Amino acid sequence: MNTDARRYVIIVFFLLVGSIYAVRLFYMQVIDDSWTLRAQEIAEKRQQITPPRGVFFDRRGKKIVANKTYFNLMMREADMKEKFDTNAFAKLIGWTPIKVKSRFWEIKLGEGRYKNPHTGKTTSNYQKIRSYPFVKEMSMEEMANIAPYLQNFPGFYEEITSMRSYPYANAANILGYLSEVNGDEVKEDRFYRAGDNIGRAGLERFYEAELRGVKGIHYIVTSALNNAIEPYANGKYDTIAKQGPALHLGVDIVLQAYGEKLMRNKRGCIVAIEPNTGEVLALVSAPTFDPNLFVGKRSISKNYSRLINDPAKPLYPRPLSAEYPPGSTFKLIQALTALQEGVIRPGTGFPCTKSMVGCHNHPNARNVAEAVQYSCNPYFYYTVKKIIQQGKRKKVTEDAPIGLAKWTKYMKSFGFGVKLETDITGIRPGLIPDPAYYDKWYGHNAWAFSTIRSNSIGQGEVKATPLQLANLAAILANRGWFITPHFVKSVGSKGPLPIYRKKHYTMINREHFDPVIEGMRMVVNEKGGTGSQARIKDIVVCGKTGTVQNPQGEDHSVFIAFAPMYKPKIAIAVFIENAGFGGTWAAPIANLMMEKYLKKKITDKEKEKHILESDLD
Amino acid sequence: MKRDESIIGNIDWGLAIVFLVMVFMGVANVYSAAFNPKHPDLFDFSQKYGKQIMWVGISMFLGLMVFLIDASIYRKFAIPIYLFCLVLLVIVLFMPSVNGAHAWLGIGSLGIQPAEFAKIGTAIALASYVNSINVKQQNVNTVIVANIILLFPMALILLQPDAGTFVVFTGFLFVMYREGITYDPIVLHLVNLIPGVRFKSTWVGSHFIPILFVVVFLSIITLLMSNNTIHFFLFPGVDIPGFYGVIGALLFMGVATYLILRFFASKRERNRITMIVVIGFFLCSLISSIVNFGFQGLKKHQKDRIELFLGLREDPDGEDYNRNRAMAAVGSGGFFGKGYGNASVASVESNHVPESETDFIFCPLAEEWGFFGSLVLICLFMFMLFRIVQIAERQKSRFNRVYAYCVAMILFYHFAVNIGMDIGFAPVIGIPLPFFSYGGSSMMSFSVMMFVLLKLDSQRGDVLG
Repeated sequence: MNTDARRYVIIVFFLLVGSIYAVRLFYMQVIDDSWTLRAQEIAEKRQQITPPRGVFFDRRGKKIVANKTYFNLMMREADMKEKFDTNAFAKLIGWTPIKVKSRFWEIKLGEGRYKNPHTGKTTSNYQKIRSYPFVKEMSMEEMANIAPYLQNFPGFYEEITSMRSYPYANAANILGYLSEVNGDEVKEDRFYRAGDNIGRAGLERFYEAELRGVKGIHYIVTSALNNAIEPYANGKYDTIAKQGPALHLGVDIVLQAYGEKLMRNKRGCIVAIEPNTGEVLALVSAPTFDPNLFVGKRSISKNYSRLINDPAKPLYPRPLSAEYPPGSTFKLIQALTALQEGVIRPGTGFPCTKSMVGCHNHPNARNVAEAVQYSCNPYFYYTVKKIIQQGKRKKVTEDAPIGLAKWTKYMKSFGFGVKLETDITGIRPGLIPDPAYYDKWYGHNAWAFSTIRSNSIGQGEVKATPLQLANLAAILANRGWFITPHFVKSVGSKGPLPIYRKKHYTMINREHFDPVIEGMRMVVNEKGGTGSQARIKDIVVCGKTGTVQNPQGEDHSVFIAFAPMYKPKIAIAVFIENAGFGGTWAAPIANLMMEKYLKKKITDKEKEKHILESDLD
Repeated sequence: MKRDESIIGNIDWGLAIVFLVMVFMGVANVYSAAFNPKHPDLFDFSQKYGKQIMWVGISMFLGLMVFLIDASIYRKFAIPIYLFCLVLLVIVLFMPSVNGAHAWLGIGSLGIQPAEFAKIGTAIALASYVNSINVKQQNVNTVIVANIILLFPMALILLQPDAGTFVVFTGFLFVMYREGITYDPIVLHLVNLIPGVRFKSTWVGSHFIPILFVVVFLSIITLLMSNNTIHFFLFPGVDIPGFYGVIGALLFMGVATYLILRFFASKRERNRITMIVVIGFFLCSLISSIVNFGFQGLKKHQKDRIELFLGLREDPDGEDYNRNRAMAAVGSGGFFGKGYGNASVASVESNHVPESETDFIFCPLAEEWGFFGSLVLICLFMFMLFRIVQIAERQKSRFNRVYAYCVAMILFYHFAVNIGMDIGFAPVIGIPLPFFSYGGSSMMSFSVMMFVLLKLDSQRGDVLG
């Protein structure tokens, strides 16, 4: 058998493999870009340039969150001298030699190890050619002392970083703070790399995606023949870092600072809103803290545990998260709902019987306005009973769920029992019970108005946050609608987010507001009103007090108001924990806040002094 | 005096020059791949490039020795050389293991790998044996003896374990195929057991080796591509499943083969060619489909095992670490590469591709010289292989011819597997790229192999068939 022709089989194999490999290489190297990207990813030869974060301005254009330059002392072992003088270096940076040595180990061990499953070799992720921050967050002064001597320690150099600073030590609960990303966050979002900062609370967190800006990427190559760093492809793929847009807040930092001052030594909240825009003017949570305490890793680790363990909970954003019974302020919407439902008329009166619910001594309310003025409990007991028990069914237990379902819808149209879409984290919905809620507690058709009557005066199951109460004040000021309360008037020059341009209408017609608002005017301005402490000279204030029964201790003092009565400029809710009657504490604080905002000065210095000096904590 | 002249005059300069060019490129490449800025001197013997130059020097010295010794010695001492290699392979098993394999004889960087030299010994033994038998006499016994010559070193190498070199030994089956020593006698023996059947030869038995090769090659490529998608530049934004890519490539190659052969073939042969190409295409597609869908239908643990073996796992930072880094280095080369000394993934400094100066030596080359450099490398190897086949076919001595084919197949296997693993076409089994990878054993063994071939060829006139 002649096998000479078989040489061609072998030649064809050579050719086949050779040409397949050539085609494959052409595809991998020339056509397909994905390996090039993968190579960039692997080689990590990109320098990320982190832009400064977007800054914050208040409503009058004052810079309230700025960036301050700090320095990191960087270390690159590959450049270090073989004989490193630990003692001299320790002396320079003011550490003990032991601390310097242990910091080296901390950096090395902190990088972890990698086990190559093919060779079985375990190598440290730490690389001598990489730079690591040796001392972080040094101030310019600290660095200035060291910098001239750094040339004696090759491998150490300074790197500029930017951190937050707060020219006004206020609004910590609104602004939030920054801290370093954790491992999960790095995995989740490729934007971040270890050591980057991320917004942790408040606006910093809510607007993280805008504030962080766009990172610049500078591709670099360290060649195998020379160690010099050179731009990759002459910077063809480089991108420029872009600072995040500035946030223009509706907050008036002067008012905010004044509110925080008034609330010193008290627990509670103040929320002020501009009614026709929904912009939050001030949101005070007391006690609060200085936002400058949370700048940088060093000061966060120093202060965080102290603040988180403080029984007064300064880190807890009360106006957004604390759900209190609304108390008598809730009577306002009961009146509105009853008028809309037609179960009472503006002139409807009820005697103050005190048989079903207690009340204080006052004349019988002859109409809705007087009922609001006197805050008559029996009046609202009867009113809400008429809403819940409309007689659609014979049995009261079958009738009540129908009425309550309707009532629930009314309440929710005021933003109660729902999470307001405010641009901040930590918002709670409060609670508005619906029929299903009571069915769960008492069983189906096993309850009626009498079971749930406490809700009619803002006690019982209903819960609301101070933000929701301020929003209620804004709805009353607007006579029937609201724009979701929000902090940011404009992201850069883009204006507010679209959801903060939309008016939300309640289920109440415009005309029903007049008798209720007249009642609110009487609360403040007429004799026998519960909120006379809120009176401002030359400005008609409309308000409503509340005293929230608190089984744990003293009653909470509540006051909501707006002013002036016509073309209102400010709507406010003040909530003082364990302070007793609403008219005594909450009303004067609301009064001072409104006057400060509307007149820019305080006429009643005595009142101011009294509040400032009071310690209710 | 006359004799010296004849050596110089009879040397195949084409092959010798390609060989020297490759050695030169290899050293230059190792210099870049292993560059240490603290020791920039090319001749710094503390560095891998310095050592590689030393190995090249030693290899050239060995080459000189080979040229001074008469070529007939290999035929005469074939069995002692073969046995010596086997003894070394046995001894090496008792040596301490390095990176999990008992492959090194001697200490540290001065050690040698007997497996590298066993290839030459086996090639000589096989050549000697094939030379001793008459083609027409081939029977079950001759096939078995030839296979046993391969089996001893293969078994010993597998014990080390060294899967890469083991695979290379299967290349000798092609040499046997060329010489007509196929598995046909065994197949015939079995087939003719059936009453009434009396074949003189079977097609499958005769061509068993290339068929097996095609099936294995196609199966591996199908499996490697089955998890991938291809982005074909003619259809931007369309993801083509890897399997259809394989079928498409087969179709393309079938049409191309048909057109090329049609151009050269006579009218009479056209029908036959068309038939072969069509049948070949359908058979290949069938194999590919069976492998693809068979694989998809496997149970998870079976799939896992195959995926693990082939390094198919989509686990770029774990199981698939080496291959992923290697492919990134190669794929990022672009058309003209990043420039000599500018590898960013495969550089020793960044150390992303492990063993970038030995088993993954193609990575820095492809990254720094791009598709252009890769193509030059492929062309050099192709030229070398064709040249060796040409040399083989002009030998009067069957010994020389078998030996030459052995060299061609060894080089081809090293080339195909080594580059294959850098482009995702072969499992990651570490074998060096001839003349390029850093390492004394491979440098010396490939050089000696080449010098023996050149020497045999230069004396082809003296030897009687």
